[in-house]
Amino acid sequence: MSKIMKRTVFDLPSSFRITFGGPMVLQSRTAHNVRAPRIKYPLWYLQRERAKDDQQLTGDNRAFVKEAVHDKFGMPAVIHGISTYDVRSPLSEDSVECLNVEWNPKLQRTGLIARKLGNYPMWLDNGKSVLSTLLQVIDNHVIKYIPPGEFNPPRKPYSCPNHKKPLGCLLVGAESADPQYFTKQYCGLFYREGMMPKKYLGRFMVSPEAALQPGTPLLASHFRPGDFIDVRGKTIDRGFQGVMKRHGFHGMPATHGVTKSHRRGGNVGHGGEKGRIFPGTKMPGHMGNRYRLHKGAEILRINHKYNVIWIKGIASPGKTNSIVYLYDTILPLRKHKSPPPFPTSKVADDDQLIDSYKEHVYKFTDQTITYEEDK
Amino acid sequence: MLLKTLNFHRFKCGFAPVLRASRLFSNSPPSDVQQPSDESISGKQVKPERKSVVPSNSRFIYPEFLPDPKIEWRNSLREKLERMDMIQRRKHIDIPEFYVGSIMAVSSSNQHAPNKATRFVGICIQRLGCGLRANFTLRNVIKHVGTEMKYQLYDPTIQKIEVLRLEKRLDDELLYLRDAPNEYSTFDENMEVEYLPEGAPVPVNPEMVKLKPRPWRARWERKNMKGLADLGLEDRFYERAEELATPWEKYDLMKQYRKTIPEEEQKEIFAEVYSELHEVEVMRKKLKRKKVFIKPTKNV
Repeated sequence: MSKIMKRTVFDLPSSFRITFGGPMVLQSRTAHNVRAPRIKYPLWYLQRERAKDDQQLTGDNRAFVKEAVHDKFGMPAVIHGISTYDVRSPLSEDSVECLNVEWNPKLQRTGLIARKLGNYPMWLDNGKSVLSTLLQVIDNHVIKYIPPGEFNPPRKPYSCPNHKKPLGCLLVGAESADPQYFTKQYCGLFYREGMMPKKYLGRFMVSPEAALQPGTPLLASHFRPGDFIDVRGKTIDRGFQGVMKRHGFHGMPATHGVTKSHRRGGNVGHGGEKGRIFPGTKMPGHMGNRYRLHKGAEILRINHKYNVIWIKGIASPGKTNSIVYLYDTILPLRKHKSPPPFPTSKVADDDQLIDSYKEHVYKFTDQTITYEEDK
Repeated sequence: MLLKTLNFHRFKCGFAPVLRASRLFSNSPPSDVQQPSDESISGKQVKPERKSVVPSNSRFIYPEFLPDPKIEWRNSLREKLERMDMIQRRKHIDIPEFYVGSIMAVSSSNQHAPNKATRFVGICIQRLGCGLRANFTLRNVIKHVGTEMKYQLYDPTIQKIEVLRLEKRLDDELLYLRDAPNEYSTFDENMEVEYLPEGAPVPVNPEMVKLKPRPWRARWERKNMKGLADLGLEDRFYERAEELATPWEKYDLMKQYRKTIPEEEQKEIFAEVYSELHEVEVMRKKLKRKKVFIKPTKNV
């Protein structure tokens, strides 16, 4: 905690910094409507990785540490195609069944953390081919719930900082890992909830009715085929790029007397009164490596065995094998028409249902598509 | 040491001569003459042994089961799901062994055709892609117009894929047929299936193609094609081609390594897939025999 305090106190914006040897000058060169981001970290922003330290343990001691970890948290197991630990938090028992809240469109459910597996084509029943992106929900568990009154994020929304939406915060973790490889403070986040440390964390704003007990597993069946989701991820880092790649400019001709400016942007300013470059003019610069949201992607198919979701389109941000966050869509016309699993889906007892498809999506177990003759 | 191991690896899995691969496991139709008697005599005893043995030429017969070697795009689970879907599709359609240079007929559902289906006969000039994206291009000359059709191998609208003449050409891509006179890519639409004896190697057609005079779609003199007859160009073209040639690339072991899936991984993939593929094959053969058997009873 002290580290966070240190960071927050001493990382003041540059405009407030005192210059020695002269009068204190407050300079503000940024636009008024944009607040400079202040670096403040949330509660769970703790140092995660431990410095690599060869403790010079003997083989026996190493085995003992391993055994102790397994005794405390559970044996290693492969669940839904992911190697993890068979850990069951006592808090999670019947947590989904306990709540008997009716779903209504104003309630906000939790999201999921997924890994992007890549894309391949799927076909519709009319023979049309669509490209799909595969997202695997990787061993998600609820870690913590902070009710609306207590939740005080260090960064308030820019648009309306004093706005008080009664939303709680649900901390979700993905991919269990051996606690030996994390710092003590990071492991402490999970210890009280009886969970293994997780490699990835995500924060989801939920209605208090949709709150879940820590330790509740979240599965791909949280969504249904035919639902629309938003996918948030970090776009591919492309480095410093020119305007043709970064903004899709056309560049200039290859010939006809053009020299040394085939890929340049051309004019950026005006003359006379407007004799300057307007803010926000598209220019070369760093491209990618920022969070972007792909809104309103339709779910075509869900594999419950491996917790994989197929979404239509290949526009979701990020590389193959990168982490993305899945939410119920915010597009008003694509929101749930019928009640989804609320607050989340239960763990299915029967393993019979492996694949579920959206209507009019071709299943590979189906017969060849043929068209009927017109009459 | 590293060089040694790499060298070994390349010879084993990189570009072994395709010709030597014997057709242990073929999809060709003539099998139903000899095969039934063999299987009916010692079918159940031999079966478990066969399952464990994956033919070494699987990577030529099922090249689309090997994933894209580009490391940034690889994910083992996606590849596995893709293979499962491919096998599901193969249960409904017989995708035979074929190569670039084979003459094929594809029947596919077509909403705009009079019978809601079309059949296209042509020579396979290109085979690309892996997984569910695998595709091939057929070329034929129809009413004096060169026509090409690109088919997705796993497209569910494809009703039937037939190999009319199973053979290979001297090159891995026959795109130069586009610049050749029409007679090189003209094939009869009513061509009948030419059967090969069971277990025979795939014949290589050593036909040399004489191109039309320039302009061409590509500078064929630079592509190092084996199936092209004398191009009849001026010396300056060949000189330039020699300048641009990169003959050292075949010795770049790392380049070859990155372009291919390592042999160990190939073995793993085919071990996973082969038993199911083989089952599908056996089922298909049984069905074929049944069909053959039923017909005479109806007539009687």
